[in-house]
Amino acid sequence: MSSAQIEIQLIASLVAVACAIPGTFLVLRKMAMISDAISHSILPGIVVGFFITQDLNSPLLILLAALTGVVTVVLVEYIQKTGLVKEDTAIGLVFPVLFSIGVLMIAKKANDVHLDIDAVLVGELALAPFDRLLISGVDVGPKALWVIGVILIITIVLLLAFFKELKLSTFDKGLAASLGFSPVIIHYGLMTVSSITTVGAFDAVGAILVVALMIAPAATAYLLTTDLKKMLSLSILFGVFSAIAGYWVAHQLDASISGSITTVLGFLFLLVYLFAPSKGVFAVMYREKQQRTEVSLLTFLLHLKNHDEERERHVNHLNEHINWQKVRSKTVLDLALKNNMIEINKNIVSLTVKGNAFTTQAIDYIITNEDAQIEDMKDDFFLFRG
Amino acid sequence: MKQNIAVQVDDLTVAYNYKPVLWDIDLEIPEGVLMAIVGPNGAGKSTLIKSILGILKPIAGSVRIYGKSYEKQRSLVAYVPQKGSVDWDFPTTALDVVTMGTYGSLGWIKRPRQKQKKAALEALEKVGMLAFKSRQISQLSGGQQQRIFLARALVQDAAIYFMDEPFQGVDATTEIAIINILKELRKAGKTVIVVHHDLQTVPEYFDWVTFLNVKKIATGPVRDIFNDDNLTKTYGINYKVSIQE
Ligand SMILES: Nc1ncnc2c1ncn2[C@@H]1O[C@H](COP(=O)(O)OP(=O)(O)OP(=O)(O)O)[C@@H](O)[C@H]1O
Ligand SMILES: [Mg+2]
Repeated sequence: MSSAQIEIQLIASLVAVACAIPGTFLVLRKMAMISDAISHSILPGIVVGFFITQDLNSPLLILLAALTGVVTVVLVEYIQKTGLVKEDTAIGLVFPVLFSIGVLMIAKKANDVHLDIDAVLVGELALAPFDRLLISGVDVGPKALWVIGVILIITIVLLLAFFKELKLSTFDKGLAASLGFSPVIIHYGLMTVSSITTVGAFDAVGAILVVALMIAPAATAYLLTTDLKKMLSLSILFGVFSAIAGYWVAHQLDASISGSITTVLGFLFLLVYLFAPSKGVFAVMYREKQQRTEVSLLTFLLHLKNHDEERERHVNHLNEHINWQKVRSKTVLDLALKNNMIEINKNIVSLTVKGNAFTTQAIDYIITNEDAQIEDMKDDFFLFRG
Repeated sequence: MKQNIAVQVDDLTVAYNYKPVLWDIDLEIPEGVLMAIVGPNGAGKSTLIKSILGILKPIAGSVRIYGKSYEKQRSLVAYVPQKGSVDWDFPTTALDVVTMGTYGSLGWIKRPRQKQKKAALEALEKVGMLAFKSRQISQLSGGQQQRIFLARALVQDAAIYFMDEPFQGVDATTEIAIINILKELRKAGKTVIVVHHDLQTVPEYFDWVTFLNVKKIATGPVRDIFNDDNLTKTYGINYKVSIQE
């Protein structure tokens, strides 16, 4: 690997981490669309900043553009508060206007400004290593690396300091307010960090990849865990993995790096969406099937408990009586046998002691409506386990 | 002997989008009562609580907690929001939610430690939910979620408790468990204010009641003012409840 290649991957990875952190909270606050809005509406801020500083990496430009991001949020909320339109409509109203203002400004001054809209939206990661930061003549690395590195450090410090506040106000705004943690301050803090990250990253990776890196890793992680800290770590992991894998995909296909990273992100999400252990599509299908079988099993055991007569408990009779197809009956019968709930003697089925105890307890819980208890009970009887 | 006033509300008017939903509310809640706030859907019950707790800014009026502004008395007040007000799919556990009750005493930046965790476990124990401490909150039943919210308020160890419909969607057993905890709080000298919908149980559960429907209709001891007249004024239709003596 050349040093430029390493630098590109490093920049992409840092951007991924810097995006995953605010992204996790945006996803949990159901504000994914806001990051899209910010990423577009910062354009006029960037242009004005560029007129003033003539340097896409200047801190002043970043602050000015980030301010436009926060203004977007304020405008969206203001329009929403009038109660005339919903939030998504408000977002759809605000950011195209701000974006177009930026486009017009670029077009007007196109001659003396070296800044084009493509670069803002898609970025050019491959060129990032060529823009070096010189400190009194010494080359200390690509500018983009420094910009995003500083932003990342600020983000991490803020996360560590205000993790508790972020969690509380994201989960329960009302309680946060009543305990004196102003949700408004935390909200705008998060919006400011998101805006700064977007601006700092757009030059290297483009606005669209920023949005993808904020939302996709967090949405993927959300499907895999029920713990906020793990969700944060997983988001970061997925972001960095996609950044590096995307780089090599682009390298192989000689394609755009940003485009490849976004594709990897989408692919990763799809995989997890299908195969996640508890929330994935297949897991849900499997669970539903298993629940159907469990209910059948219980019905079957109840039938056995209710009938002493041998003819009611004959294997063949059960097929007709409970009115199941052959396959279903066989599954249920096998399951009951495997768990030692029943015994079959000369084709007559009867409950074992364990089966009897299980059925009695199950009836109790069904009558008292305590679903949770049935789940615990299944653990006790090792049903379907092992 | 004059009783202390725990909560005093004067001329409170609150509006959403300039449409007032609470008009000129005056309310005095004496210390140590277990009070029900009753009124139809949309009467402004939740809004009243949120305004007292500084979650909403009123357009007029003032709120005093033991004679001082809410900001100064935060640590004296605990709050159980309406259950539907949070996202139960949020990635966190029962214990973690209860621990959030300690954040107020911690202040900004400081993290909960062993002491806070212990308090949270004790509160979980009190509401009979210790066995569920590591459960993800979406995997709790409605009644269990309600108990978690109650535990979170208990851990705040406050003097005044505001609860927005703690009996919403809970079964008889949980309802009795919750009301017993509330009565214990009252016995310990705390003031408990509960938004309540089941009019039948008001005389049995509460000793104080406030009728609210945009305006305050009446407030006082249940045995004096919980009558068909006030109910009719509040709910608009002719109401008949048999009050148990
Ligand atoms: N965020 C909001 N924006 C606009 N209007 C609101 C908002 N919240 C509540 N309202 C309106 O304010 C009025 C009072 O609402 P509030 O939630 O206080 O009623 P409530 O008495 O608690 O009702 P419920 O018994 O249904 O909980 C209602 O008419 C409601 O539509
Ligand atoms: Mg309400």
